[in-house]
Amino acid sequence: MRYAIIGNGVAGTTAAFTLRAREPGAEITLISAESDYFFSRTALMYAYMDRMSRRDLEPYERKVYAKQNLRLLCDRVTDLDASRLLLTLESGRALEYDRLLLATGSVGDRPNWPGLDEAHEGVVHFVTLDDLDRCERLTPSTRQAVVVGGGLIGVELVECLVYHRKQVTFLVRSPGYWPGALAGEESAMVSEHIRRHGVDLRADEGVARVLADEGGRVRAVQTQSGAEFPCQLLGIAIGVVPAVDWLRQVKTPPRIERGIVVSSSFETSLENVWAAGDCAEFLHDGRSTVEQLWYSARRQGELAARAMLGDPVRYELPIFYNSAKFFEIEYTSTGIVDPSIEGTRSFFCRLPGKQASVRIVERAGAVVGFNMLGSRWNHTFFERWITERRDLDYVVEHLREAQFDVEFGRVDLAPVHATYRDWKAALHPWPALPRGSGFV
Amino acid sequence: MVRQGKAAWLAHDLTHRGVTAWLLSALLVAFYLVLYYTALFDRAARAIGLDSKWTFYGILYSLAIVLGGIYVLRKYRHNRYQVVRTAVVMFVQVILAFSIPEILQFVHQPEYYFSYFWPLKFDYWTPETIFRFPLGYILYSFLGSLLLVPLLGIFFGKRWYCSWVCGCGGLANTAGDPLRHLTSKSSASWKFERISIYTVLAVCLTLTALLFVSWGIRTRDPALEQFVDGFQSVYAFLVVAMLSGVVGAGLYPLGGTRIWCRNFCPMAALLGLVQKFGRFRITVKENMCISCGLCSKYCEMGIDVRSYAQANLSFTRASCVGCGLCAEVCPRGVLRLENIRLRHPQQLALIHISPATTRSRTAAI
Ligand SMILES: Cc1cc2nc3c(=O)[nH]c(=O)nc-3n(C[C@H](O)[C@H](O)[C@H](O)COP(=O)(O)OP(=O)(O)OC[C@H]3O[C@@H](n4cnc5c(N)ncnc54)[C@H](O)[C@@H]3O)c2cc1C
Ligand code: SF4
Ligand code: SF4
Repeated sequence: MRYAIIGNGVAGTTAAFTLRAREPGAEITLISAESDYFFSRTALMYAYMDRMSRRDLEPYERKVYAKQNLRLLCDRVTDLDASRLLLTLESGRALEYDRLLLATGSVGDRPNWPGLDEAHEGVVHFVTLDDLDRCERLTPSTRQAVVVGGGLIGVELVECLVYHRKQVTFLVRSPGYWPGALAGEESAMVSEHIRRHGVDLRADEGVARVLADEGGRVRAVQTQSGAEFPCQLLGIAIGVVPAVDWLRQVKTPPRIERGIVVSSSFETSLENVWAAGDCAEFLHDGRSTVEQLWYSARRQGELAARAMLGDPVRYELPIFYNSAKFFEIEYTSTGIVDPSIEGTRSFFCRLPGKQASVRIVERAGAVVGFNMLGSRWNHTFFERWITERRDLDYVVEHLREAQFDVEFGRVDLAPVHATYRDWKAALHPWPALPRGSGFV
Repeated sequence: MVRQGKAAWLAHDLTHRGVTAWLLSALLVAFYLVLYYTALFDRAARAIGLDSKWTFYGILYSLAIVLGGIYVLRKYRHNRYQVVRTAVVMFVQVILAFSIPEILQFVHQPEYYFSYFWPLKFDYWTPETIFRFPLGYILYSFLGSLLLVPLLGIFFGKRWYCSWVCGCGGLANTAGDPLRHLTSKSSASWKFERISIYTVLAVCLTLTALLFVSWGIRTRDPALEQFVDGFQSVYAFLVVAMLSGVVGAGLYPLGGTRIWCRNFCPMAALLGLVQKFGRFRITVKENMCISCGLCSKYCEMGIDVRSYAQANLSFTRASCVGCGLCAEVCPRGVLRLENIRLRHPQQLALIHISPATTRSRTAAI
């Protein structure tokens, strides 16, 4: 059996190891245009900040691939002919396969701001190793930088630029930092923390135009409010999209919407072709989901490999969780936390004297989400409580069990319990919900 | 990428095996050779009114731990484990490993280091030395090594000694902190460690046994006595002077801070075995690791922590000194040092995983 995997990211590499564990004799080829060896995209910032070398980013020793007898090709796949089970590579080489996994990941989303195309130099994303090289090349000649996009990659890039002592303006289109995940209080706390590091964080500012000098190097960014921010480096971090553009032009394209559409067993519309990771899109009762997370990509890679081996696999979207770090503030989130979702209400407590807070979201008497800042939590407890549909009383009472702070450093939850009692006393009873409304 | 500026260059070069790191290492090695084998520091010590070069060295060593400790306390001030641990390390060095022995000498008692035990402090089980001490010291020496050390090891792991008390670990975790990432993480270095550390342990145990035998039958076998004497001086030279001093501390800027602790220390070897059967472990939070590798990079014992974290495996490695830095640097709070007795709620969570995970797991079987 010949397995080919396009993309040596966490999805592709996990799939390769899974296949090897079960099929010692199969021919397994991992192809990537980005790097010879699998590396941790999530640690790009630590390489930029001199905390790690490029080599440190690689989670496995290089000899592991030889030991596992995995063939690694550093090449770009340019064509896919599923009817002939054939891949064509940029180098001109052809590769036949019996089963193919598409794990092509994502690319930085590129906006169509006026002037952007004229700025050939000084505009960066922060997604690939090439982006990292570009950032490092531009760093010495940069004094001021503008980063656009209020998500996680944006704040990581900002932190790197602050480390290199650049004067950074951080433009966020929404009224506060990361409104998709942080409600008002948290957003304000994180924004204040970011500003305290000397970052000029501007909310409610969208880009109107990008200005370049005669040499084509970016020179400033104009915003919709009319302000102009001079910069020699412009970081675009407005999100990532599945890396599927190249697949639209191949001989036999799979079905593509936002990403490569897959079934719950990772099959694409093409025979003998599966997809997993950032590039895969699931359609569940008309709802489209693309999970762009490291953990999901790893899990999907493993399960897709099992599906390719013929196991009956049914991937159900897990309860969402994520974690991050905004400069020094650690963040753990589980379940539904988007404050704009209807029918939810939440208990919130800012821990006195700390850059820390607790938010527990409830819907119709059952806890559905957690948003925790500034201390450490074991999200598996949150997942369990959500699945068991525990109510707030129960969860607040047992909250201590989910704490994951370092020894001697356990955060005191007494203020949470006190605030909870007051909050509950002031609470109105739940309005009756229409019958038959389903909950998670 | 290195920050711009001369100061940043120097800081990087010193901590990343640059030219200045090699120079510093050469300087440290030279310092130890001069200290051990010449009287230069004796003269220097007398010139400033100290009785011997060892007092002079003790002051330097304590100073390094105190100043390094202040740096570390500031750097990790948000982490209570590091704060408490560093404070204890500084206290032990200044009081137990420096002041008390000085005071004891002053009041005509034997110069005894209560923070050191056999087999790290080899002489404390050398019959010639220990049996010349008053009874209290003899008891402390034997009960310390036989009871205190392993018992605390069972309850708290190796760390109670290696990262909270020991002076070697003390220096590594204070003044050595900026160099901790230099320890090799390769599987080859792990292989070397396992061979070398248990070899030293075996040699150390053999020598101790021989010393007791030779002492017990003293006058009857001069050939044996001579052999044991020779053996002992080779051990003192190779293991104590060379490996723990010149190599262990001198090569900090090239090989990281725990060369001695990881590869050679017989005490670490014994405690590591105890730890394997004890309560200490590093708990890994399920499915939260992003494989960034900071934990592995900053582990001074060369443990590839990431390989456990990304596989959702809580672990106890014999070499882990429980410094807690892997948990400190992890940007996703995946790791926690724990002494578990029965099944802790946290551990239950690792078994009773969320249905979402269970489903994808069982579907996968
Ligand atoms: C800066 C940054 C920080 C992040 N931090 C986090 C985090 O903290 N937590 C988290 O959960 N997630 C994080 N993510 C997201 C996470 O990295 C991704 O979800 C994950 O890497 C996706 O893995 P993948 O295997 O699907 O794809 P990728 O890692 O993107 O790998 C796909 C590979 O396929 C290659 N490829 C694509 N097309 C072709 C072709 N035609 N021919 C050959 N090769 C091709 C690409 O070059 C790439 O190397 C972060 C992402 C970035 C950029
Ligand atoms: S595994 Fe962690 S606690 Fe153990 S020695 Fe390494 S860094 Fe220290
Ligand atoms: S530092 Fe944390 S997230 Fe990074 S590899 Fe280690 S355990 Fe995983």
